[in-house]
Amino acid sequence: MKKELVALKINGRSCELAIEPNSLLLDVLRKDLDLTGSKRGCDDSSCGACTVLLDGVSMLSCTLLAASCEGQEITTIEGVSEHGSLAAIQKAYGDWGGAQCGYCTPGFIMTVKALLAENPDPSEADVRTALSSNLCRCTGYNQMYEAIRSAIRAERSAMAAAKECLLPRAAGFSDPVSRGVRNDKT
Amino acid sequence: MDNGFSIIGKPTAMVDAAYKTTGSGKYTDDLSLPGMLVGKILHSPYPHAHIKSIDTTRAEKLEGVVAVVIGKDAPNPYGILPVGHDEHALALDKVRYVGDHVACVVAVDDATADKALELIDVEYEVLPAYFDPEESMKAETHLIHDNKTHNIEKDYHHVFGDPEKGFAEADHVAEARFIANEVTHAAMEPHSTLASFELDPHTGKMGRLTVWSSTQVPYYLQHKLSLVLEMPMSQIRVIKPLVGGGFGGKSEVIPLEIIAAVAARKANAPVKITYTREEVFWAHRGRPRTIIDLKTGVRNDGRITSVKARVVQDGGAYCSYGVVTILYSGALLGALYDIPNIQYDGYRVLTNKPACGAMRGHGTVNVRFAFETQLDELAAEIDMDPAEIRQRNLLTPPCVTVNGLRVQSYGLPECIARTVERSGWKQRKGKLAKGRGLGIACSHYVSGAANSIIRSDMPHSTVNIKIDRDGGVVVYTGASEIGQGSDTMTAQIAAEALGCSLARVRVIAADTDLTPIDIGSYSSRVTFMAGNATLRAAEEVKKRIAAAAAKKMNCAADDLLFRDDVVSKRGSAPHAMKNNPGEEEETTQAGATVSGRVEGQILRGSLQQKRKDEGPKDWMTFEEAVVAAIDFHGALSGTGSYAPPQEARGGKHKGAGVGPSPAYSYAAQVAEVSVDEETGEVTVHKVWAAHDCGRALNPVSVEGQIIGSVWMGMGQALTEEMVWKDGMLMNPGLLEYRSPSSVESPEVEPIIVESIDPEGPFGAKECSEGSLAATIPAIANAIYDAVGVRLHECPFTPERVLAALRAKKNAKPLNLTEGIDPTAPVRFREHGGSLWFRGKGPQRHALDPSRREGPEPAGGAD
Amino acid sequence: MSLPQFKFLRPRTVDEAVGDLAKHAAKVRILAGGTDLIPSMQQKLFEPEYVLDLRRIPGLRGIRSQANAGVEIGAATPLSEIERSSFLQGHYSVLSQAAATVASPLLRNMGTVGGNICLDTRCLWYNQSLTWRKGCGFCIKKDGDLCHVAPGGTKCWAVFSGDTPAALLCLEAEVEIVGPEGVRRMPLAQFYTGIGDNYRKLQPNELLTRVFLPTSSADYHGVYRKLRVRGSIDYPLAGVAVVMKRSNGHVVDARLAITAVNPAPMLVKAASGILAGKMVDDSLAEVVGDLAARTAKPLTTSALTPEYRREMIRVFTKRAVLAAASN
Repeated sequence: MKKELVALKINGRSCELAIEPNSLLLDVLRKDLDLTGSKRGCDDSSCGACTVLLDGVSMLSCTLLAASCEGQEITTIEGVSEHGSLAAIQKAYGDWGGAQCGYCTPGFIMTVKALLAENPDPSEADVRTALSSNLCRCTGYNQMYEAIRSAIRAERSAMAAAKECLLPRAAGFSDPVSRGVRNDKT
Repeated sequence: MDNGFSIIGKPTAMVDAAYKTTGSGKYTDDLSLPGMLVGKILHSPYPHAHIKSIDTTRAEKLEGVVAVVIGKDAPNPYGILPVGHDEHALALDKVRYVGDHVACVVAVDDATADKALELIDVEYEVLPAYFDPEESMKAETHLIHDNKTHNIEKDYHHVFGDPEKGFAEADHVAEARFIANEVTHAAMEPHSTLASFELDPHTGKMGRLTVWSSTQVPYYLQHKLSLVLEMPMSQIRVIKPLVGGGFGGKSEVIPLEIIAAVAARKANAPVKITYTREEVFWAHRGRPRTIIDLKTGVRNDGRITSVKARVVQDGGAYCSYGVVTILYSGALLGALYDIPNIQYDGYRVLTNKPACGAMRGHGTVNVRFAFETQLDELAAEIDMDPAEIRQRNLLTPPCVTVNGLRVQSYGLPECIARTVERSGWKQRKGKLAKGRGLGIACSHYVSGAANSIIRSDMPHSTVNIKIDRDGGVVVYTGASEIGQGSDTMTAQIAAEALGCSLARVRVIAADTDLTPIDIGSYSSRVTFMAGNATLRAAEEVKKRIAAAAAKKMNCAADDLLFRDDVVSKRGSAPHAMKNNPGEEEETTQAGATVSGRVEGQILRGSLQQKRKDEGPKDWMTFEEAVVAAIDFHGALSGTGSYAPPQEARGGKHKGAGVGPSPAYSYAAQVAEVSVDEETGEVTVHKVWAAHDCGRALNPVSVEGQIIGSVWMGMGQALTEEMVWKDGMLMNPGLLEYRSPSSVESPEVEPIIVESIDPEGPFGAKECSEGSLAATIPAIANAIYDAVGVRLHECPFTPERVLAALRAKKNAKPLNLTEGIDPTAPVRFREHGGSLWFRGKGPQRHALDPSRREGPEPAGGAD
Repeated sequence: MSLPQFKFLRPRTVDEAVGDLAKHAAKVRILAGGTDLIPSMQQKLFEPEYVLDLRRIPGLRGIRSQANAGVEIGAATPLSEIERSSFLQGHYSVLSQAAATVASPLLRNMGTVGGNICLDTRCLWYNQSLTWRKGCGFCIKKDGDLCHVAPGGTKCWAVFSGDTPAALLCLEAEVEIVGPEGVRRMPLAQFYTGIGDNYRKLQPNELLTRVFLPTSSADYHGVYRKLRVRGSIDYPLAGVAVVMKRSNGHVVDARLAITAVNPAPMLVKAASGILAGKMVDDSLAEVVGDLAARTAKPLTTSALTPEYRREMIRVFTKRAVLAAASN
């Protein structure tokens, strides 16, 4: 099939690619651009491992034709960490056990990013509902909730710090090392 | 909180966490090589058939196709067990399940390969097929494998003590059939393998093979590749990149791993094969459908007098780990409690379905569901609290169970006590609102098998450590990180043992060229075995550093303490000055220790010279001690290995090799559920899960493993089930195979119990599998507490629960589960509808039990 | 699984789209959110020569209320927008409730209301890969002449599995269809045929562009109940929508529709008559439940047994009727 030139804007950078009309965005990201952070986990649009943001809205890159995304801002997991450091949600997922095998993690991070952009102070139920777009097979989701709460706290104190110019940006991560161990373990 | 350790016991982010949260980490399918081709596999549409011919000419002629591989290209048989070499990379003369691997197209891209698959002409002669294990056991002809009479892969018959006498002594005996339906790992990463040959400079021909694969067992893969490709293992390098979950599904050699290598050889180019999700379901190796006929006797004081179990596992078309699975089902039946008399009859049966294998809680889960449910029933019969009946049957370690398993550390009593306390069991049990209930159950698991599947005296794990002049520690381990935290555990143990900071340690893992052998990530063996090997390697290196440092400090090596990047004489004060281990990177007094190699090197010269000039001290930095050791010994490295002790290797009876472990984990759980009596829907509100992991090396990971196990158990208990119709898997995708989403996943409160095992590394045991098995019966027992029905068939789907409720109430009979009462199941239920009828459809053998005359009654139509 | 090859059409207006459709008619599949079409194309259920993308047509998206003329919803409006629209939540709540149960939040960002209405009928024997379907000998709906759920029959029983159409039927929604002959409007109740492999009355050269909710249906108390195994992602295994208007405790008007148990979503017309003028109590709700269960014809197209799914239509209807009458 004849390839066509398509201009995509991915993580703030524009690129022009020659692709076949039947190319899925996920395949273009992974194979043409080597942005392999978005994963393929299923073939029936159910697992969410390939989640990206399209103009800020979370969508499945395995269910979008790349050519159909022309003119829209695409954000992938590779566009999440900023200024050479982990975003709060990425740090928190690591600290709190939100990622085990990590295969679903980029998808979850994108889902959470979209959630927090829209609702910076989500309730427990909001978080649960939002996460139900993605499947994880390792964690049972529990530790992700802790990670998300921690990331919200971190973002908030970073915002406060930025306002008052008192603390460096990285401050405010609630570190599990200092929290002691949960419950009343020996 | 200070347990005398500076690294272990503290919640620690995984060393590879950032690779995962940024998407920069590479899993196999993320890799590519110049000139790489893709492989796509043709699968059998028939459950059982002879291959009369395969014609690949049309496919080969398609533009973009480089090679087509068939069985004859690699005819050597293989299998994960030495007794089960019954698989071929691609079918030679026979296919044995819908989805069996027939041919592989190597092409320039997916679309071309897909197109070429349609151009392969295969002529089949269809054979009668077997789908129900109890039917299959009666087979006389058309056997699935010629050498397995009655399609029985293996059967074992064990008697310990005097079971009949035990039943005679019992005041109450319960006897029932339990059925556990088939579940699969459904790891998020579909299997993927990339294989590439290099040209040999001496012969000019194809030489060494490198394989990147999503595997839990790189060394077994290397071994099987060597068998099939007829190459020495030394010419094969297996590298395990990040693995997106295994749960046992990647713990043996999966067809695509061999096919990719054979294809790369035939195509003269690197070949990558990644399974579709449907192919993952066909590759399977999950937990078999199991029939358990269980009989248990108890006295009025709650003591169990005897247990008798007949277990039939629907193993699918190949042996896989089957012989081990059927042995685990028996061996671990009797080792959680003190049971004096046990009879076990286990049958692993072949059927024309994808092969079952090892899945989290290997072999123990379904039998544990049956046992813990029946024990609950007996407790009710003798009017005893279900928690108490479990407490009445505890082992008294150190001891050896009636079937020869050595038990040393035994945290089960504390697990029960803690879950009972945390869940408010005593105050709340029986007092919850209508339709809501609590249930308790226990389970356990091995910390690695004491006997490896290939019998030998070889250590099960070996670890090398190398330390550089600037104090950088590199650990080489064959242990396979699959998301469970093995690399982090390795780094923690090395850092703790060497007394250095975690930041110094780099783990190089699971690369057969670089790392010493470790038999893989399965049966929860890594922390115990690779952990012990790491500890021993670290101690060996430490001894060398200590010798050199002692010389510098004018003291005996034994007098030295290694901690927090400082080597000091015991009793001296430097550790007091750095009592905040969390900040060691920025604030070590010597200044030369970390903060990066370059800075370290600049500072090192002057500082070391200064300190040298000042003469002997009562402490040195870790780096100075390392420099002293390297100056003294030359290169600084050490090796440690682990082999389970003879005493832990079990009895002498046939099949005694499976079950023994150097240590066992224990778990007790309370589940709180509610049941909608009109719909049968079960909601799990919370699970309190206590797990004895010996010592929690990394509490975040231990909790994560406990929660994950409980959650996966809940999936098997409520929603997950592979649904079959005449050998067709009706739900080969994540949309229809329903692993729970966040909405219906309950809060799990992990409770860590530390029994400190005498042989575990720092006392640690397994924490990733043992909790799963308790969840299913805990939920079953909670359902009983809530609405008074005993479910003997899992998963407890709403229709099964409703059918049981209807049966109990003698309400309007509703044929919800095709006449099979989930409280008294008789056989496996197949999906409704009809696959073949009136001679239409694909050809089926006349004797095929699935070929039926005339239409079946159609489901819900009036 | 790779997608079949096709030519890609990206019209910018409805007229352009209709022009494209007129030119290529039967050779085109229409792509809106893609959540139904793309997985089906991967399974080679559709191998169209052309795919026509609606995402670039701005006029197809949005919820507009018109004075005295009800509300108009563009067919390409994402389900998440319908779920969150405070206007719809306030006046047509059964629709926002139904929209909020579709698949997962992310899939609702992609899936559209038009797509949900036009959703292809589903069956476990149909929504499978090409290799799988080869193994079962194909079926009436695609590539074969057998039906596995009603053996011997010649009718396709693939089940309609959209959530929102049940709500829309209760709201007496109409759809606007644009084709070469111009624009026509038809009640949604007439849109479906009840035949699994030819389930809707939309010609290959036509485009569903808008959905209209009449003012007369506004401000009914509405309830949507969905049976599924997981709390997210799943298609419905049974669905019930009820709308009701009461006065002094008596039902003035009520409508009931069921979905995911027949090849079409179905208005249970007799329910309106039974409920009209009555006070709702348990026994009345049960009578309506029985009626709905008799209308349902679930087969082995889906997970769980047909008997159970029909039983749940009964229970969910009873509950939905009681809930709709509860305030």
